[in-house]
Amino acid sequence: MTSYALFLGCTIPARQPHYELAARKALTKLGINLIDLEGMTCCAPPPLQSIDLETSLAISAYNICLAEEADLNIVTLCTGCFESLAIANHLLKEKSQLREKVNKILANAGKEFKGTKEVRHYLQVLMNDVGINSLKQNVVKPLDKLKVAAFSGCHLLRPSELLRFDDPERPRVFDTLIEALGAKSIPYKNKLRCCGGLLRGYADDIALAIARDKIVNAHNAGADCISTLCPFCFLTLDLGQMLIKTTYKEEYNMPIIHYAELLSLSLGVEPKELALDFHKVKIDKILEKIG
Amino acid sequence: MTVRKGSFRQSKGKRKVRAKVKTMEETKVGVFLSDCGGQIAKILDFEALTNFVKGVPGVTLVARGSEFWRGEGLKTIVDAVKAKKINRVVVAESIPKISEVAIAKAVEEAGLNPYMVEVIDLKDHCAWPHKDTPQEATEKAKAMLLAAIEKAKLQEPIEKAEFPAVKSVLVIGGGLAGMQAAEDLADMGFQVYLVEKEPFLGGLAAKAVRFFPTDDCAICIQSPTTNLKAVAQTSRKCVYRSGFSEIPNLNVLTNAKVVKVVGEPGNFHVTVERKPRYVNEKKCVACDLCTSVCPVEVPDEYNAKLTKRKAIYINKPLVYPPAYAIDAKACKFHECAKCVEICPTKAIELDQKPEQVTLNVGSIIVATGFREYDPSVIKEYHYGEYPDVITHLELARMLDAFGPTKGVPVKPSNMKPAKRIVFVQCVGSRDRRWNPYCSSICCMISLKHATMIKEAFPDADVTICYIDIRTTGREHEYYYERAREMGVKFVKGRPSEIIHDPATDTLIVEVEDELLRRLLELEADLVVLATAMVPSEDTKELAQILGLELDQDGFFKEYNAKLRPTETKRRGIYLCGGTVFPKDAPTTSLHAHSAAVKAAKFLMNGKIVKDLKVAVVNGDYCGNCQFCPVTCPYGAISLEPQGNGHFVAKVSELLCEGCGVCVGTCPVGAIELRHLKPSQISAQIKALLSVNGTSKPLVLAFSCSECGHAAVDSSGMAMMSYPANVRVLRVPCTGVIQVQHILEAFKAGAQGVMVVGCKPDGCHYEAGSQKAKQKVEMAKVLLKTYGIEPERLEMLNLVFIEGDKFAEAAKAMTERVERLGALQLA
Amino acid sequence: MAEEKSEKPPAADFTREITSRLGGETIVHCYQCGTCASTCPVARTAEERYNPRQIIRLALLGQREEVLKGDAIWLCASCYNCQERCPQKVEVADVIYALRNLAIREGIIPAIYTEFAAGLTSEGRIVPISKFLEKKRADSGLPPLKPTGIEALKKILSATGFDKIMFKKEGVSQ
Repeated sequence: MTSYALFLGCTIPARQPHYELAARKALTKLGINLIDLEGMTCCAPPPLQSIDLETSLAISAYNICLAEEADLNIVTLCTGCFESLAIANHLLKEKSQLREKVNKILANAGKEFKGTKEVRHYLQVLMNDVGINSLKQNVVKPLDKLKVAAFSGCHLLRPSELLRFDDPERPRVFDTLIEALGAKSIPYKNKLRCCGGLLRGYADDIALAIARDKIVNAHNAGADCISTLCPFCFLTLDLGQMLIKTTYKEEYNMPIIHYAELLSLSLGVEPKELALDFHKVKIDKILEKIG
Repeated sequence: MTVRKGSFRQSKGKRKVRAKVKTMEETKVGVFLSDCGGQIAKILDFEALTNFVKGVPGVTLVARGSEFWRGEGLKTIVDAVKAKKINRVVVAESIPKISEVAIAKAVEEAGLNPYMVEVIDLKDHCAWPHKDTPQEATEKAKAMLLAAIEKAKLQEPIEKAEFPAVKSVLVIGGGLAGMQAAEDLADMGFQVYLVEKEPFLGGLAAKAVRFFPTDDCAICIQSPTTNLKAVAQTSRKCVYRSGFSEIPNLNVLTNAKVVKVVGEPGNFHVTVERKPRYVNEKKCVACDLCTSVCPVEVPDEYNAKLTKRKAIYINKPLVYPPAYAIDAKACKFHECAKCVEICPTKAIELDQKPEQVTLNVGSIIVATGFREYDPSVIKEYHYGEYPDVITHLELARMLDAFGPTKGVPVKPSNMKPAKRIVFVQCVGSRDRRWNPYCSSICCMISLKHATMIKEAFPDADVTICYIDIRTTGREHEYYYERAREMGVKFVKGRPSEIIHDPATDTLIVEVEDELLRRLLELEADLVVLATAMVPSEDTKELAQILGLELDQDGFFKEYNAKLRPTETKRRGIYLCGGTVFPKDAPTTSLHAHSAAVKAAKFLMNGKIVKDLKVAVVNGDYCGNCQFCPVTCPYGAISLEPQGNGHFVAKVSELLCEGCGVCVGTCPVGAIELRHLKPSQISAQIKALLSVNGTSKPLVLAFSCSECGHAAVDSSGMAMMSYPANVRVLRVPCTGVIQVQHILEAFKAGAQGVMVVGCKPDGCHYEAGSQKAKQKVEMAKVLLKTYGIEPERLEMLNLVFIEGDKFAEAAKAMTERVERLGALQLA
Repeated sequence: MAEEKSEKPPAADFTREITSRLGGETIVHCYQCGTCASTCPVARTAEERYNPRQIIRLALLGQREEVLKGDAIWLCASCYNCQERCPQKVEVADVIYALRNLAIREGIIPAIYTEFAAGLTSEGRIVPISKFLEKKRADSGLPPLKPTGIEALKKILSATGFDKIMFKKEGVSQ
């Protein structure tokens, strides 16, 4: 039984408990032991990096220290958390001067970054710890009629030199995992382009325009749904469709669904166990297709 | 003086026995003091000098005059030599660099070994920089003379040796550069072997169709000057009718690769492996009947896979040889053999085997050129995935009237004519992720192709996306003007992505037009990537075989692009053309002719005569540590097995340049230079520090013979002033200095030591001054442990024009050691 | 270590100011090829308001006021496309963070960031979690949230001077 320290971040427990629920159920079913550590904070994503990069690095490092002390690798659900923590882990392991600087700051909190643990996204756990074959074997309700527009978001892939998660121009991991559930990962225009989520709260008009592009492209390609990994992407595209309706007077009814939810459903978890009412755009069509 | 055959290394490592050196007779030193028309006598007390010198043991003759390097003065020396009054010559003469040569030559003619001559400069190194302290200058002059005398006494004769120089040359690579160099050398009468790995000559030129800025045919070369009766003498000709192939002494070997090189410069033994062509070049009449019956079709790589060819084929345009070749991977051989049956001259020989040929050549020219970088790694451009994204060479094949599309640019996806063409510059060039350098010729190539397209198809929509347009050569700017006049569009911006729109089957090029400050989505039928130019495929392998260095971008490294172009650190091996860095055709031609001249110069006398002013190993001391072969910049040291598992270092007399870096490296002193033995260094240190006569503590400056000494010269020539307690000991390269020499100097009475060498990236012997720096650092650590202030030791890296810095440093060092007080040595 | 509000350096030293900050080191490699602008989703949607190449150009030309007081630097969506594709390996997104860091030190900070900072300093999360939601977790079958390390965090924030950085809360010029 592989154990990981589960890093939840802020947005998922605050806004998207259905993501957390689906992920916990799915990963537990697949034999991953998720441990909740005390003392974790925000991961220090772009909003905090915009205020001060050094502080953000220290905060990310602090969270990694907790995992080091518990002798556990970290797994994240949110790709934003993945990026901040994985990059911090990488930079501090590689650059001794930076590490010294950050450790001086951490000393104030009684912590020291040692660089002994890894930061992983749960897709990596699925690929490496569970394995594609084992995953396929556990699928009881294959999603074989489902056309999924896979949207991993930006922070799983880039900057690729630091994250090394997948080929940034030709990623395959996410698509492979979707197809392992029996669904089809369809090509669509500007698949790898950002959803604009981080502009919400500052330039809502631009954020909405970018989100709309994504919905339109998936729609034009004939997708049944867009599958996400990042809570910001989810919010932007799901709630975003309500705003698209009022602002652009367009209705697409494109279900937005986290991969963890698709995973749970295909593993046999009942829809009623998954708090699916958190979706603004109803996903009844998907549930019908899954059967 | 005897001239004897030098030993040369055969592949099995045998050596010829060397002539014994005559035992030393009693040394009789003649000292000649020139006062430069009486001028330096105004500063230095020549009577005192003469008396001093007379008192030095071993000195049998002292003369004073105005000049001794020419005229009557020189005659005095020559007479003394002839009369056997002296067998060592010490001259105090100005401009020693030139006077040394004249005196040595005259002395040699008079019957004495020219290395028995030692010349010092009392003017630039003594009188002038110390003219404000004439008494102190005189005392320094005494020390300088003493040092020169002691050095000369210990000098033994150094002989000349002859090494064979076979008058034949190997040229590797049959492209433009290789062909030009080969032609020059064959015309000059050398036996030339032109080795080409493909079945046909021509390289990139054969594919490129035309060359900018003249847009003349790429396969046009200089006509041979050899008297070939069937060919009219003109400045240039297409290769196939130039008579290139008929030049006597020019042997072309196609389908051939160099696999091994042994031997020494002037006498290399090269093993060449030839793949079978399966067609007898002497019988093939190029009638094309064979292709009509060949059942095998494969994509034609030469023509960018836009067409197919048969297993037996010839490339067009025809360069050389005019004989078909069989692609061994595609051919069915005896299972089919239809071509054998139909060939009217029975030229096809399916049973040909690979063969090995050994060539004996005096020098080698590497002309392996460059190739296009494979842009499929730049995934945002989708090369290899979208068939309508191509490179320049692929476009060139389309634009060739001989080519697969008869001169029409087409979309490879459906072979329909392409009307909207977008060029993307700097693909994989100037890119820190792939190749950080600028490939130099791609802007001009894009302009060439753009104008060729506009010329043939005026309504074509042609756009070039660029970061900068680099048209730096002669007439290149007019070429750029013409492109604009013909309506080629230019967008300043580097495309971020190329997308294919399946609905319209169009390529979309996403780019920012910076000058317009607008984000564009250019529509294109065909996108041409100006991909980077990188070293040829087998460069690393060939570098290993030849023992050549590659630069940081993977190209072969020239010895020094300004001062020794086309040369490498391996004597007798030269480089030319794109193999050194991407070049256009005129520059390649220039480079090729230059390499031919160098190779010819090296071999033209049929022998290489060299003074044995080299390093020698004492086999008894050699500890087999293997440091010296690694440090020698010329690869002149090899390790000879002694049979009992031990190795002893051995210096190649031909390759050794006499810098002494090996001497500086050897931890046991098993190597020494014939022209600067350890005893000579010690004697000079003692002598230079034996006479003070100044009010100041003594400082010894070890100076290399190149830039370092030039800085000392220039400080004197410019009459800059520094104190006379600073004494200069000249060595070939500061790399020869060991830590013990520095300590010896302190022990012998120096209160401060300076080391003056060339700039770290400008050492005349590669890395000598860098190694000296390391020794200086080590010495400082040792000094500290001995309780000696490390500031007493300093290393300077100077060039000729920095003579003022030498003077300043000499003054500063003097002040420093004065301030520190006298050295306390246990 | 605590950072006091620094004196404004002369405009000509703006480049050096940027390169000496974490994230800003690579700005000087830029040769204005425009790849970042072309690949930027924000620029493609609202090019009059945002162009990363132009921001870098203004910065390298020393236009400190225009860059730090402007609206543009807040429009980066942190998608990292630019940094991924830059042929000179300029860390464009990180440079923008460095510029934002500088702007905030001048007291220029959009309201939303103040909110994030407030959440962080009070609860350790940039998006606070209401007590109501915490209670609701049990209903869905989620385990209770472990307490955040707010005490340790406060020490870190004090050590870096984060709290002092946040002292001014002005709006941004549009």
